[in-house]
Amino acid sequence: MTPNGAALFVIVMLIGALAASGPLGFSLLYAVLVAFALVEVRAGTTTALTRSAVIVLPLAAFMAAVWIGFVGRSPAEIAAGASGTRAAAAAYVLTVCLRLFLIVAAIQLVLLRFVHLTPLQFICALRLPVTAKRLLALTLSLTETLRQAVDRARTALIAAGVITRRMSLRNLVHGWVLVQTVWLSAITIAVGRMRDKWPIEGTLGRLDDLFQRARTPSLAPGDAVWLSLGVGAALFGLGIG
Amino acid sequence: MVRTLISGPNFSGRSDALRGSLASGAKAFVIGPYAEAALSGLASTVADEIAVYRADGADDSASFAPLDLTIYTDRKPQTLSGGEQVLLALQCFSQSAYGRVGIDTALEQLDGDNRIQALDYLSRVERDIVLIDNRLATAPPGWTGLACQPEKPAFPCDLESLVAGVAPCAAPRIVISDLHFAYRPGADVFQGAALTLEPGRAFRLFGRNGAGKTTLLKILVGVLAPGRGEVLLGEQSYAPWRDGNATFALAMQNPDHQWCGATLGEDIERRRASLKTGQEKVSDARIAAAAGKLGVTSLDQHLYELPLAARKRLSWLWPFSGVMPWIMLDEPTIGQDRDMCRALAAALDRLCGLGYGVVFVTHDDDFARQVPHGIITIDNHRLSLD
Repeated sequence: MTPNGAALFVIVMLIGALAASGPLGFSLLYAVLVAFALVEVRAGTTTALTRSAVIVLPLAAFMAAVWIGFVGRSPAEIAAGASGTRAAAAAYVLTVCLRLFLIVAAIQLVLLRFVHLTPLQFICALRLPVTAKRLLALTLSLTETLRQAVDRARTALIAAGVITRRMSLRNLVHGWVLVQTVWLSAITIAVGRMRDKWPIEGTLGRLDDLFQRARTPSLAPGDAVWLSLGVGAALFGLGIG
Repeated sequence: MVRTLISGPNFSGRSDALRGSLASGAKAFVIGPYAEAALSGLASTVADEIAVYRADGADDSASFAPLDLTIYTDRKPQTLSGGEQVLLALQCFSQSAYGRVGIDTALEQLDGDNRIQALDYLSRVERDIVLIDNRLATAPPGWTGLACQPEKPAFPCDLESLVAGVAPCAAPRIVISDLHFAYRPGADVFQGAALTLEPGRAFRLFGRNGAGKTTLLKILVGVLAPGRGEVLLGEQSYAPWRDGNATFALAMQNPDHQWCGATLGEDIERRRASLKTGQEKVSDARIAAAAGKLGVTSLDQHLYELPLAARKRLSWLWPFSGVMPWIMLDEPTIGQDRDMCRALAAALDRLCGLGYGVVFVTHDDDFARQVPHGIITIDNHRLSLD
């Protein structure tokens, strides 16, 4: 499989997840996903599914509490002015969570399928305009900057005794300081970079050189198989099949 | 090829001269003292950082490659130690097509061997070099010297007067036993490390770039939690990673990694809020006066608007305020001229005489010689005290 095929596969699964409405559609999409995991990802499957669960479960718990616990009706019933049932609300929450899990799991599986590539190598391999690739690289850079800022702010505040490493009352009281310090750090990291290094080096221009040099493989036969399966499952989900 | 060493005291405009010399003409590579100015910020792994700068058809045999990429390739550049980040930047430069490089005090973070190799590489590579380095008293053979002089005194710093006002202290003994720490499985930093530190002395924490010096300091202030092991303060168990830090005043290698607010006043206010009852007697006025002796007189001073050398000095505020019994300084001499290093050494010696314990990390042997100290060596995941 190629990175381009993987990116298209994620897009197909995303559209399928958003379009699927009935049990058959979801079953087919999940079947394709499981097959993809077993054939392409193998040992990393458990990790991908665990990560997906960690991401989706808190949201599922929150939605369940709100829709089943407090509202007690599904959105469709509210729109129709019907009295509604908690069972319908539960079905609604289940559908949304199945969609989310499918999308997150597809992304995680593809990330693990290409774990041997560095993020920039993955972006280089995508058949996209240089501007789009630069945008992806800068988004990645921003994410890393935020992570660096979180680490920096946390280090500063723990070392100063303002917060503690483990959960504590002090953390509750001073949590807002952490948020403020993270943003201050992120801004100063970015400003420092843009003031001192990037203008003199023309660092962003280095990205363009890198992307133009990169070899972008075409789709492989394996890509066609997974894309066909994904499109087929998505069409069944839409009721077209 | 033009190799230039810009010399002069702090605040003499050396960094401006460096930037000015690089601003015109072809693009130039920049290596500043800390990550924001040493790394591209565009890569999330070391391999990507090298790829960003690598020229088409770069000659690997002629490159400066001090890092073992079999170990480092997947590491995030920002998680490398300060010295390793500088080595990575030099490696990127050596494989790039840039014909010029400006290095602003970055080499001061390198350990002895790496520094010799880096200076040797810079002296033979056929590219233009502009260097600021406080440890080079004179330009090496083949280099041109450019001396800068301050137009007017800026950020006057009086460490002698600052420590003269510090009250005596009875710092507790530190006993570290069976310390284990790893950032991830298989990447152990400490394996069963043990150490006893008596107060009233200075200790130099010594080791190669990436050996774990800063990691040990972060464990002692509670930023990192050891996998196993115990720390005793006197007879009492000490676990700042659970209970918070009220014993070690740490000045970090990069001063920007320790600010708790945007202005000096905000930083002081937030730190004071975390002090324990016995420590609250240190008044705002005293802290503000101490900051004045470090060169910053206004509490409204925005910290990030100060020059780096002034920020670095201000990072010594809490260690030198006498609030906490143990003082830890991570590479305190980076960016500081020789006069300031002498004053710092005298101040640390004085604090030891008052009963405080001092641990400092430095690769600056000239500075270390001025402070009577014991040497803590990190080698093979263990600590030993000479």
